[in-house]
Parts: sequence; C-alpha cells; structure tokens
Amino acid sequence: MSKKKFSVNGSFKDGVNTVKFLTERMHFVNSAKAVLPTCTDDFGVNKVAKRLHPKEQNLIISKIEEHSDIAKSYYFKSETAPLAYFKAGQYLTFKFEIGNAVVTRSYSIASSPASALNGEYQITVKRINDGFISDYILDNWSVGDKVIAFAPEGNMTYCPLRDANNIVAIAGGSGITPFLSLARAIDQGDEECSLTLLYGCRTSDEILFKDELDSLSEKNEKINVIYVLSHSDEEGYEKGFVGADVIKKYAPEGNYSIFVCGPGGMYKFLETELPKLEIERKYIRFEVFSSGKKAEEETKEFNITVINRGTETVIKANSSETVLCAFERSGIEVPARCHTGECGFCRSKLISGKVYIPEGEDKRRIGDMQFNYIHPCCCYPESDLVVRIN
Amino acid sequence: MVKNYDAVVIGAGNGGLVASARLAKEGKKTLLIERHNLPGGFATSFVRGRFEFEASLHELCGVGPITGKAPLQKIFEEIGAADKIEWVSLDEAFRVITLEDDKSDYAMPLGKAQFIAKLEEYDPNSASIVTKIFELIESVEKTLDFVEAIDDFKASMIKEIFSEHTDFLKVANYSVDEVLESMGASQKTRDILNAYWCYLGQPTDELNAIHYFTMLHAYIIDGAVIPRGRSHQISTALLETFTENGGEAWFNTSVKKINVKDGVVTGVELDDGTQINAKAVICNASPYNAFTKLMDEKDVPEKFKKEVNAKTLGAKGFAVFLGLNRSAEELGLNNHTYFIYPTNDNRKCYELSRKIETNDVQATVCLNKAFDDCSPEGTSILYMTSIFTGDEWSNVSVEDYHKVKLSFAEKMIDNFEKATGVKIKDYIEEIEIATPMTYARYTDAPAGTIYGYEASKEDGIVKRIVFDLLGKGIPGLYFAGGYTVRHMGYSPSYTTGDKAAKAAILAMEKEAK
Repeated sequence: MSKKKFSVNGSFKDGVNTVKFLTERMHFVNSAKAVLPTCTDDFGVNKVAKRLHPKEQNLIISKIEEHSDIAKSYYFKSETAPLAYFKAGQYLTFKFEIGNAVVTRSYSIASSPASALNGEYQITVKRINDGFISDYILDNWSVGDKVIAFAPEGNMTYCPLRDANNIVAIAGGSGITPFLSLARAIDQGDEECSLTLLYGCRTSDEILFKDELDSLSEKNEKINVIYVLSHSDEEGYEKGFVGADVIKKYAPEGNYSIFVCGPGGMYKFLETELPKLEIERKYIRFEVFSSGKKAEEETKEFNITVINRGTETVIKANSSETVLCAFERSGIEVPARCHTGECGFCRSKLISGKVYIPEGEDKRRIGDMQFNYIHPCCCYPESDLVVRIN
Repeated sequence: MVKNYDAVVIGAGNGGLVASARLAKEGKKTLLIERHNLPGGFATSFVRGRFEFEASLHELCGVGPITGKAPLQKIFEEIGAADKIEWVSLDEAFRVITLEDDKSDYAMPLGKAQFIAKLEEYDPNSASIVTKIFELIESVEKTLDFVEAIDDFKASMIKEIFSEHTDFLKVANYSVDEVLESMGASQKTRDILNAYWCYLGQPTDELNAIHYFTMLHAYIIDGAVIPRGRSHQISTALLETFTENGGEAWFNTSVKKINVKDGVVTGVELDDGTQINAKAVICNASPYNAFTKLMDEKDVPEKFKKEVNAKTLGAKGFAVFLGLNRSAEELGLNNHTYFIYPTNDNRKCYELSRKIETNDVQATVCLNKAFDDCSPEGTSILYMTSIFTGDEWSNVSVEDYHKVKLSFAEKMIDNFEKATGVKIKDYIEEIEIATPMTYARYTDAPAGTIYGYEASKEDGIVKRIVFDLLGKGIPGLYFAGGYTVRHMGYSPSYTTGDKAAKAAILAMEKEAK
C-alpha cells in the first residue's frame, strides 16, 4: 500500500466527495421512471438494419416473362414485409424443398435497387446442362407461387472509393443480370459510374434483354452496350470471345474497372486475356463462381455424421459432390448462401475426416483453418467425415 | 422438447464465451446459444479478396507483455485457451493528431520509462508529474485487485477498504480532469495523456479518473497485444476450449424468452419452442435487450426497469476497412494506432460526434505495423473506427443509407490523409464499411451501440462496481459483457464473463449444501 499522502482537493473535501457518489448514484437510479425504455427493435437503426438484412423474405411470384425456350424472368412481390433494399450486382438466395432435399441457390438480381423500394424483384433463370435447380424453377414455378428468399448478399457492387468511375462489364449468357441491374441503376440516377457492357453470347438469338439494353445505350450517354457473338458472324456485332482486343477497342479513355460475370469457360479465357491489359489487380473484380464438380476417375462413396444442435445423423456422400450437396440431398438445412466458399454462412466444424478444397476457393479465416472449420459448399469428401453444422 | 442443463449461456460474445468456458472447465453441464453462425459477437473477422480484416479489436490489454501483470491471460490459462492463441506484442502506444489549423501531433511509445521520456521531450518538466500519476494509478490498482479478488462479498471488507485503500477513496468520485488539474499537469501533458478517451467514449471532464487511469496503466505500463489470427482466433479458441471440456454450443439458434418463475430465472425458451431448464442463465445479451426483448415486463423488477431507463446508451460504431495495394512502407504508414481528433478538447469532440455532419473523430489501425505479414507482400491493411455519441443514424432512411454511409467513409479517409499526409485513396483494393446498422445486424445492439452504457458521471465504473457488490440481481440470472459493471471493451467483457460464471458456480454450490 502506498504510504504517500495523495489528495485532490484536500483530504476532507475528498472524503465528502467520495461519500457523495453513493447518494448521487442512488438518486440517479431512483429518480428514473419504472418503465422500460425503447425496445431494441424500435430504434430507427435497428429497423433499417432489418429492412436491409431480413432473416427471410416471403415472396410471391407476381409475373413470369419468357425470353426464349430456355430463359425466363421471374418477378416477385413481398407477401408481408417490404422487400430488402440492395446494391446493383447483389444476388438473392432462394430456398427450395424438393422431395426430401432442402436446397439453396443464388441468382443475381436483374431489377434495379429502386424497384425493390417499389416492391418488386426480378431474376432471370436459364436452362443449363445438369442444372438441377434451374430445371426445377423453369418447369415448376408459376404465378402466385410462394417462395422463400434470404436477404440480398454479394460484393460485386460499384464502390466509387475503390473502383474506377468507368466500369467495363463483361457478361456471358445469363451473367448479364447483375449488369442489367447496374445499367438500370445508372439510368435511374442511383449509381454514378459509366458502364461499357461487353455482352458475350453464342448467337444473336441468345441475347437477353436486347431491346432494353439497346434503348438504355441509346438514351443514356453513360451506358454503352456491345454484343460479342462467338458462334455467328452477324452485321452490327463483334465476332469472337470477349478478350483483350475487344476490351481495348471499347474501353473508355483513362482508368477503368473490369467486372466479370459469366460461365466458367469465360473465366478461363479471361485468365489469359486480362493480363495483356496490364491493369492493376484492384481494377478487376469477378463475381465468384464455383468450379462445380470435381473431375475424378472414379466416384467413391462415404458416410458423413452430421451433428446439429446435439443430435447426430449419418448421411451418404460421394467424392464428386460437395459436402453441402450431401447435406442438401439429405434434407439437412444449412444456412448456405453463395455456394462459392466466399460468404462463410455455411461454416462448419470438421471434427474428423479429410476433405479436398479446390485451389483458390478456400476463403476461410486464419482461425478457421487453425481449428479445422470448413466451408462445406467448396469441400469434397475424401473419407468418412464427422461435421458439426450447428 | 425439454432439456436440462446446469447453466445456459445466451450469446457467444466475449462475455458469453469466457463464461461458457469457465463453467465447462468447472464441470458444469453447459449449453451456449448463439443466434449468428459464428462465435465472438464483435470479436470476429471477415475475408474480402486477399485480405482478412479484424472486425473490431485495436489492441488488447490484460495480457501483460511488458510487466507480466496479466489478469486476462490468467483467465485464459485457467480455462485452457491460452496456448491456442498467438499474441503479437505492440511497442507503440499511439500517435494523436488534431485536425485544427495549429495541429498537434504526438507519437507515444508503450512502456513506463519510454512513455515518460517521450513525454518529457514534448513537454519538458512533465516527468515528475507523470511519475506521480503512475504512482497513484499503481496504488489504485491494488485496491482494484483487492475488489477483483472478491467472489463472495462480506461487510467486513468495507472496513478494509476504508482503512487500507485511502488513495482509491480519495479519487473515487473525481473526473480525469479534476485529478490532472489538481496535480498541476500542463495542457500539453493532459492532451497527450487523454488521447485514449475515445476508447471509452466519454469526455475527461466527467470520465471517472480511476476508470481512465487503470486503462492507461494497462496499455502503457503492462503492454498491449493483438492476436495473429485476428480476434476471431480468440473467439474460436474459447469455443474450442468450451467444447473440449464437454460444453455444447448451438449456433444459428435464438433465445425467444428467459423463463422466470416466482421471481427466479429457471431457463430459456428457444425460437423453435424448445424449453431449456437451467440452474443458472448467463446472459451475454445486454440487460437492455434482455429486459426489452427477452423477458415479460412483469418479470422485470421495478429497480431494474429504473436502472435500465436511467442509463444512456453509449457510442454507436462506424468503421471503414481498407485493403491497400501498396505496403505500409511504400505508403508511409509508420504507426499502428492513430487517434485523429478535430481538437484536443475532448468535450468538444464528444459533442461534435453527435452528428454525421460534424463528427471527425477516428481511431485508426495499420495492422502491418504490428506484424507485416498480416496481408500479402506489397499490400497493407488499414481500419478506421469512429464513434457517434448521439443516435442520428436512426434518422437515416433505407433510401439514403448507402449514400450517407459512403460519404461518411470518404470523410474519414480524407481526414486521415489530411492529418497524416499519407495518400491512400488511389490504393484501395478492397473496402468494407460498417455502420451502426451493421452492428445492429450482427449483434442486435440497440441503435448500433458498440460501447454499452455511457461511462457518465452518474454511471461511472466505480459507482457500478460498488453498487454491484451491494445490490442483488434477479436470482438465477447473471449478466456478462459490455453493458455490465466493467463497461465495454474486450478485457472488461472477458472479465465479466468469468465473474458471472464464478458467481453462478458459487450459487450452485451454496444450493447443493
């Protein structure tokens, strides 16, 4: 104990002041009303947080628009709460219960953020090879059906503090939707960038939203749309794949950011093309995609013991499908969103067993690697596993 | 479904994690419930591109790299989490810069001797006063250690406090300003010593001297660390320890209600209707949320209604996380912790921080100055935090949200460039912005509060500790975390988690007898 004498205002006054704090504090509590303050949910901040990130959205299909034999747009209204607002480029994750399976899939929002405020979302679904869910949607969803979607997510959005003011967007096939949303947002004054859209398709028949894109391109000087056809030589269109030459030909003067959304083949091609442009990495952003199935000579079968809230279930899995896929097939509900390893919603503890994670898809935290947490959406079983999901 | 446990812990934030780990370590059958998919609450991290960002921790005290005084490390060792976390020690305290025209700029080291020597350089003849302040802090610390060691309060202890702990009693009800003035500290010395005020969110004309000085002591004299794997490493280590000792943790699960029977808490009801019976409920949700959301109003005693109504919610958070495509060296980022204030008058800063338009306060960290390999070669990580002392964000509409958020983030970046002369704007490869809405989303914090209740004159730490010793809570319910006696912050939240678990264990043992 310190033997030195310390005082602030003299020992007597210090003593009085110390005693005072007891009475001050008692008065502070006793003079308050015996009622509860504003409920946490009722603060403006908490209300907006809920508007931006609701747990679930109960949607109803209000309209279906057929673009071709293989592509349709679905429009949604909200059944209850107002629709969650979003940034152009984000996606919605839908939940499906098909037979015994509980599956989630994500689709970029094609409508503009402003239309969400007016109570409408639009997504576009295209039939693809082995597209279990896209087939299901195209064959089953009808006007009036009720569906469940989660809050909008995703990071391929324009940020003026990071991106160049000119965006060169490279779209392939149905990868046009996030850029349609961006073009609409620019036209409505909600985004301040310019957009040069290089839209790659096989033939002109496959171009989605051509009339609207042409009209946006014509009336708004910030928007320029170029179609690039790989499988036909037609007048008024670029021929070939979207590569360095096409980009150089149409890119605006000065700095630009490249945003990419499309099928895997396009990404592979761009991997060799983009370096030719010699632009900094920060100016290139990909909508993250999953490499999909693992190529293997022989598919092996394994068991996964799934621990959920203290109960164990054993399910079948195979080496060519992700661990998340095995969960979905067995009806085990996991809070998955992006399906690409990025968002981390499905993060689970791998208690035992071995998984394969494709290179570059592993976006786990340092601490998660240390303690063996995995993102089941980008892991393939290589042995029997024990996984705790909750 | 009905399940029975010794203890159920609501929320896997810092307080809930330590409480759970302690309970499991002591052999109590414990269930930890967390609504999110991750442990940690504020103590977490996130990945964007090639960067992993720390979500909230600037530096941690209580691990004692300099003096070995390490109350927090002791808790981590006792519960078995210590060897799972890799600490990096810091050697720099802070650099504090003001934005006003005659701007001041002071860079201070950690370590008692180094700190005093540097202050003497900036403000000759300050050494003797600062030495006296440190002596006073050390004397006060002894009292706090004494109070800290009390698990079961007895009236006889009051006598001991009055006879043995006179320094403590003399300062107990004074503000930082009152004590520093009485000691004759110059304005410059006070400007430098008070630089940490934004970590507690209260101006020094009302901030309790003991509260502030013990924090100053913990950082400057005992030393500060950060975990290599971001705070997510601490959170995950605590969770691992808990489950290794037989604890059960359920994520993506919400508590709907705290069950009360005849004035005693008996357990909780989950979102799916599951009933969990427990002898103790440790609540890492704030008393604010517990009383306004999780309990029937009739179950909340009048005294607690008054208390929760009397208190003021603390600062709301705003943060900008930047992944830069140049190294700290190339950019000229030479410091780990930057405090940037509009003025050294922290009362004025506090008042200006009520409004989005006038708030210019920031505490910014360049993580590479702690360990350079926190980001890939040729890159760096910078994260900036600001505090809002009012609730102005509650007036921001959904429609305006993105624009308001972006424009405040840009102001913070501009202020940083202006204060330091370091250009960062052209090098932003990744950016993420957290607003009060973000904190509300992830932690259910009322109005996006990150600082619990204000450390105001009436509700300062000494008053809280004393009234906590004297008062009785709701039987069976124990609060842990940033809204409790120790105020907010990592170290206080871990500590209150441990205290809550120990109190629950003691009550269980008494009951068993």
